[in-house]
Amino acid sequence: MIVWPAIVTLVWLLVVAPLLPGIATKTRAWLTGRRGPPLLQLYFDLGKLWRKRCTYSRTTTWMFRVAPLTLLMTTLGAACLLPLDGSHAVLRFSGDFIAFASLLALGRFALVLAGLDTGSSFEGMGASRDVTFATFTEPALLLGFATLALLSGSLSLTGMFGTAPTPAWTAGAGHVGAAQALIATSLFLVLLAETARVPVDDPATHLELTMIHEVIVLDHSGPDLAVILYSGAVKLMVFGALVVGVLIPPAALSGVRAVAALTGGLVLVAALVGVVESATARLRLTRVPQFLVTAAALSALATLLVLLQ
Amino acid sequence: MTLFFLGIALTALGGAAAWLLQGRRRIADTAFAVLAVLGCIAGLIPAVGALAGRAAGGVAWDMGPATGIWAFEIDALSAVFLLVVFGVGLANVLYGIAYLGPERAHRPVGGTHFLTALFLAAMALVVTARATVVFLIAWEMMALTAYLLVVFEDEDRQVRRAGLVYLAATHLGALALIAMFALWGSWAGGFTFDALGGAALPAGSTAAVLSLALAGFGMKAGLVPLHFWLPGAHASAPSHVSGLMSGVMIKTGIYGLLRVIQLLGGIPAWWGWVVLSLGIVSGVLGVLWALAQHDLKRLLAYHSIENIGIILLGVGAGALGVAYEQPVVAVLGFAGAVLHTVNHAVFKSLLFLGAGAIARATATRAIDRLGGLARRMPVTWIAFLIGSVAIVGLPPLNGFVSEWLVFQGLLAGAAVGGPVRGAVLGVAALAVIGGLALACFAKVTGIVFLGEPRSTAAAQGREPGAGYLGPMVALALVCIVIGLLPPLVVGPAMEVAAGIAAVTPAQLPAILDPVHRGAWGIALVSGGLVALIAVGWAVRRALERRRPSAWSETWACGYAAATPRMQYTAASFAAPLLRTFARFSGIRTERGPATFHSHPFDLVLERVVRPTWHRVLEVAEVIRPVQHGRLHTYLLYIVGVLLALLVYLWRGAPS
Repeated sequence: MIVWPAIVTLVWLLVVAPLLPGIATKTRAWLTGRRGPPLLQLYFDLGKLWRKRCTYSRTTTWMFRVAPLTLLMTTLGAACLLPLDGSHAVLRFSGDFIAFASLLALGRFALVLAGLDTGSSFEGMGASRDVTFATFTEPALLLGFATLALLSGSLSLTGMFGTAPTPAWTAGAGHVGAAQALIATSLFLVLLAETARVPVDDPATHLELTMIHEVIVLDHSGPDLAVILYSGAVKLMVFGALVVGVLIPPAALSGVRAVAALTGGLVLVAALVGVVESATARLRLTRVPQFLVTAAALSALATLLVLLQ
Repeated sequence: MTLFFLGIALTALGGAAAWLLQGRRRIADTAFAVLAVLGCIAGLIPAVGALAGRAAGGVAWDMGPATGIWAFEIDALSAVFLLVVFGVGLANVLYGIAYLGPERAHRPVGGTHFLTALFLAAMALVVTARATVVFLIAWEMMALTAYLLVVFEDEDRQVRRAGLVYLAATHLGALALIAMFALWGSWAGGFTFDALGGAALPAGSTAAVLSLALAGFGMKAGLVPLHFWLPGAHASAPSHVSGLMSGVMIKTGIYGLLRVIQLLGGIPAWWGWVVLSLGIVSGVLGVLWALAQHDLKRLLAYHSIENIGIILLGVGAGALGVAYEQPVVAVLGFAGAVLHTVNHAVFKSLLFLGAGAIARATATRAIDRLGGLARRMPVTWIAFLIGSVAIVGLPPLNGFVSEWLVFQGLLAGAAVGGPVRGAVLGVAALAVIGGLALACFAKVTGIVFLGEPRSTAAAQGREPGAGYLGPMVALALVCIVIGLLPPLVVGPAMEVAAGIAAVTPAQLPAILDPVHRGAWGIALVSGGLVALIAVGWAVRRALERRRPSAWSETWACGYAAATPRMQYTAASFAAPLLRTFARFSGIRTERGPATFHSHPFDLVLERVVRPTWHRVLEVAEVIRPVQHGRLHTYLLYIVGVLLALLVYLWRGAPS
């Protein structure tokens, strides 16, 4: 069964996704007393890169060229599994949240292999850091989903986010609200790591040795790089939608109002990313696992809260 | 059943032909290949039939008082494992014919082929035997042929050591099994599986049976901490034997556990929690230790421990479902375990065969000496990449389908409530395993195949012949087909699981339907993904034709004289994760003024098994003088014992 509202919503969000990194950067600039690049900067960058040609290292193989595509398609696939319009995902089935996490993991695998394909130590270093941190974000994400499954009794993202709103903070169900708050916090920390933001990574850094995400894609150029940058924006949108979805179960609203609420929520999440970036410094690389274990611990706490209730 | 025995006979005959005709190489190889193909196909037909619901009746012969009744039967559970034995086994056997070809210069290989055929036959008998004595005979035959195959390169001291550790471990496991069957049989009053299954056991005996089963079958499966024999044995064996051991043999341990669960009917909940915990420990530690390895085949061996952990997570969830009477949880858990068993057999054999091709082409298994093989061995590279994506459990391949089932088994309790919901904690473990496995296979594929060659050996790597590539491509195709069309396998796996969990056919559709729809969802996601990437590839081809790409060097901050030795290494790639888990990663480092070495070691083997073994030897040293081989002391013992007996009889005899 094709759900047109879900498809229209997805297209709308895919169009506005490149705005989100712009909002984060702008917030960060304002709070640190600068003017910052225009909100639409990422659109300009994408347009410019798309018109250029690619430059490849002679060391690379087809892996290097197929990786950006894989990243884009897996990210889009993951977006298709989210109930963005409040009632349905484009695709929904029992256990689709596992497909969600695995699709994102496949995108990472492809990009990491593309990094190693160049034979550069910088990219090897970035790849190594990326897979290290993913080891911690993945349990945080999946425990969050598991807790939502326990709360809703459903094994599909549409059931977890899209069905009847859970009675948060009402009498006798305080643990539900507490668990949701914990999951939302954990997912926000996962978002910071997955979209390469401060305090895990710094999108504005200019030293190869300290980069993580930026350095994996160091040798990508032209349309390939545009595809990677756009995928990053979509990933921010996807994780933002998860955070918003936990806090405002979209089923509480319907139709256009749900979409408007989600869009507004996404803007707030992006602004919050900017606030975090201006308020904190980047963590030392050896400290990042501790930060991410915190995210996993928050999810685990939510799980225990629901299990023991 | 006739077809099944014909298959075993043909396979064994093929092995015998390879041995007897080994003077004439071409005839021996052809005869072995043809007979093995025919034998395995003959063996596969009844297995497929049993899975399609046309189970052949069992056979039983009374072999006299010494070994009792010999019974064989192929039910759905046996059939799944037979598919693995004959299907995946055939790929390994055919590869072995090509793989051992170059060895002829050093030693005769016909005997090895014969042993391989016997090994295959023994495993087929293990999963079809329905009486304890014949089961144990087949079990020992499997263990001994495997030992003889492991010590193929017996001029190497390491190989002989690994073989001995394996032999000792497998017999310890067999002892536990003999004890289990003896106790169980005496309680049940019969030694056929029918008698064991039908018996009402005295209170407390189930615990004994289940504990011994976990020890005996767990040793064969290689779950932590009983895995210590596995990495050495799998790394030392010839690659196709590694594929057979890792892909097929260790699964007989899983078969044993599932069969015991089915025969017992009811399972206490504590056992389910124990299995689940062992699955978590094996999965996480297995993949962490794999990440620390420098030797390609040792790394793959540790991944077998990890995958046994994932299978045990499924078995544990299933057992909990049985214990708490939640058929959904039971069926999903067991189905995940069964399907992951099959999938792991396929992709792990594929990876071992790929490792063998690399070792033949470059004469090294050290990951940090390889590199750049993607250009030199393109087919091996693609096959190995498919195996890697599958083992990490990513779409669109088969590993994802079974991990998806295991995840659901762990989470299915969410909807029904009760203590079975606690299995949710396994989800975190499975997520950690997935993350670490991704890191590990990014390291392997990235360092071995991509970049520039790190040594002259790697630079000389050449694609091997069709005898190597054929089996690898066939296994890779199985990974793809199961991954793109999961409904083909999810249904049968659920039905096998329903048989283990004794779920009635009336309950089945309610459990099956949502999962079946989910399987189609997966098919849509995987197929859609492949289609979208293909479309994207066409678009970028068109774009590239319009604006031809430029070619240059890899960016190194403007430094243009980079050498291949300056590339990132596998050891550095894994270092951040190993440092984070330093307490458990089992790695020893040495630093000199300008050198750095890291040596992975097995924590259990070095810290537990070896010290225990030395303590046993010390104790043995103390009682050794009793047994020093002088005839007159032995005569003295005999006289002493006789005297003691006489005294006993004289004092204690009823008057």
